[in-house]
Amino acid sequence: MNLESLALWLGQGFLHDQMVDKFWMFPMMETFHFIGLSFMFGALLVIDGRVLGIGKFISMKEAMKFIPVAIVAFAVNLISGYAFLSSDPATYLYNIGFQWKIGLIVIAGFNALWFWFGEHKQLTQLADGQEAPFTAKIIALGSIVLWVLVIILGRMIPYTDF
Amino acid sequence: MDLLLWYENGLVGTFIRESIWGYPIVLSSHAVGMATVLGIALMLCLRVLGFARGITVTAFDKLFTVGWVGFAINLVSGIILFAGSASLYFFQWTFQLKIGAILVGGILLKVVMNAVRANKSESTQKLLAAACMLCWLVGVITGRLMAYITA
Repeated sequence: MNLESLALWLGQGFLHDQMVDKFWMFPMMETFHFIGLSFMFGALLVIDGRVLGIGKFISMKEAMKFIPVAIVAFAVNLISGYAFLSSDPATYLYNIGFQWKIGLIVIAGFNALWFWFGEHKQLTQLADGQEAPFTAKIIALGSIVLWVLVIILGRMIPYTDF
Repeated sequence: MDLLLWYENGLVGTFIRESIWGYPIVLSSHAVGMATVLGIALMLCLRVLGFARGITVTAFDKLFTVGWVGFAINLVSGIILFAGSASLYFFQWTFQLKIGAILVGGILLKVVMNAVRANKSESTQKLLAAACMLCWLVGVITGRLMAYITA
């Protein structure tokens, strides 16, 4: 499937119609997207911050409870993000800022899987105040850097439409 | 009004309107700062509301430094963005409400922490945390709506 037919396929259906017909849909979805990103980034700051040693007296096991917060917030942003995309697929799909943003989200996803399968179990046994292993710190730093870039690229989309 | 126009037509205002990448870069910084300061504020409120009870609220203290960094980024980027059309923004009710909500939200964050340290009753703590969270959310919502409701 090429970008053109993908654009055609995305630009139809209920959500597309609502986004195009109702003037308040776009601002509402944007608001959800911003609230979602704040919750998600906040949850990541708690988890990754603890791993990196900022606030190392935060119980690591308890910090992991913020993982579901991040996942729910990500789901909100996946839905609202899909709404933007369906409103005008071609503009987004051919936009370099959008392409990089999606690419980085995929990388951040793999980074999260690495965290979950490689480090999660070990980390939950960390005592309060105890340093996390080096690999876990690299993953945590990667997570923060990647999501900051995702936010920047998302905000850049209107200006990277060449 | 004179002051607004002076600022809007000054160096910062001209830069943000005329430089090609100036506006997107400052705007992106504003989004990153927002995610940081709001993220920390929301997570602290969630904790005070009873989520992840195993974390002592005082252990959150260190994360406040991160929150302050986010706030500083947004204060600077916000002041620069404001120069773009100061004379318009200043009179928008969405802008006025946004600034008000952030001020109250910030003060409430301090009040929440004080209530926790002073061991105030749980319902007091929770009520304050809920009000604090609401303020910050109103701050984001009105900030986003500034682009749509220009009255």
